[in-house]
Amino acid sequence: MWLRLMLIAFVANGLGPFGLKILQERGLLEPYRLPYLLFWYLGALPLAALAFLRKPGRLSAPEVLIGGAMGCCSLGGQLATAVALESLPGHVVFAITTGGNLFIVAAAGIFLFRERVGRYGLAGIGLGIVSLLLLGTS
Amino acid sequence: MFAALAAFSFLGIFAKIADLKNCRPGAIYTLLFVWSCVLAVFAALVSNQPLGRTPGLVVEVALPFGVCAAVAGLAFQTGIRYGKIATSWLIINLSAAIPTLGSILIYREPVSAKKIMALCLIAGSVFLLWKDKLEDQQRAARQADRKGA
Repeated sequence: MWLRLMLIAFVANGLGPFGLKILQERGLLEPYRLPYLLFWYLGALPLAALAFLRKPGRLSAPEVLIGGAMGCCSLGGQLATAVALESLPGHVVFAITTGGNLFIVAAAGIFLFRERVGRYGLAGIGLGIVSLLLLGTS
Repeated sequence: MFAALAAFSFLGIFAKIADLKNCRPGAIYTLLFVWSCVLAVFAALVSNQPLGRTPGLVVEVALPFGVCAAVAGLAFQTGIRYGKIATSWLIINLSAAIPTLGSILIYREPVSAKKIMALCLIAGSVFLLWKDKLEDQQRAARQADRKGA
């Protein structure tokens, strides 16, 4: 089940940002970045709402707090990356944000949430960080 | 740059906390997208980016790719119930291989040795994560056998 869901997430998450590339090729990204993000989130909203309506019920306090915090992190991360790219080269920004966030979340998983990651998992995480650093600087 | 790093890292950590608190993926992602829409409207107004005069093409591109983002978010949030955040978050980030491949195949972007090596390493990393999951399942099966005996 995990692998199936992660493969779906892998493909869908990879396709998600490709719209930025299409707009960039047509010179529409810089003047319309925020409207694009707004419509991108609006496009995502009905499907999430549909998933919510399949299991309806009162929103719990953790759902409200965590959902709100994740919304701030999602848009905040996108905007902060755009601002950073105005003053720093792309390979530095992507290396730090991608490699760094992978390292932090993996460390949180192991040390904070006490997840048991085996030798294959650790090797996979290491290889993944290296590959994304390479991709970010290529 | 460090604000972006913190924001993306907290996104992964909050996803794990949401799972531990038994939050419904649909509820979490509905609220995430609602708040992001509200903040995006606010940010667009502050930075004078014209929402009302957005070209049709921008909307036509944004909506279907937004649907992809929702599929990814819901699958990821449901998936971490069956796995670990340390490895699941990596898979989500490794999906950067897809736009890279798309740019090469569709926009004929130049293929450098670095890009090829990165894509090969991504494939290797996904394979190792799959092996890690397999090892977890074998360990769980052995423990269940021992309990049964």
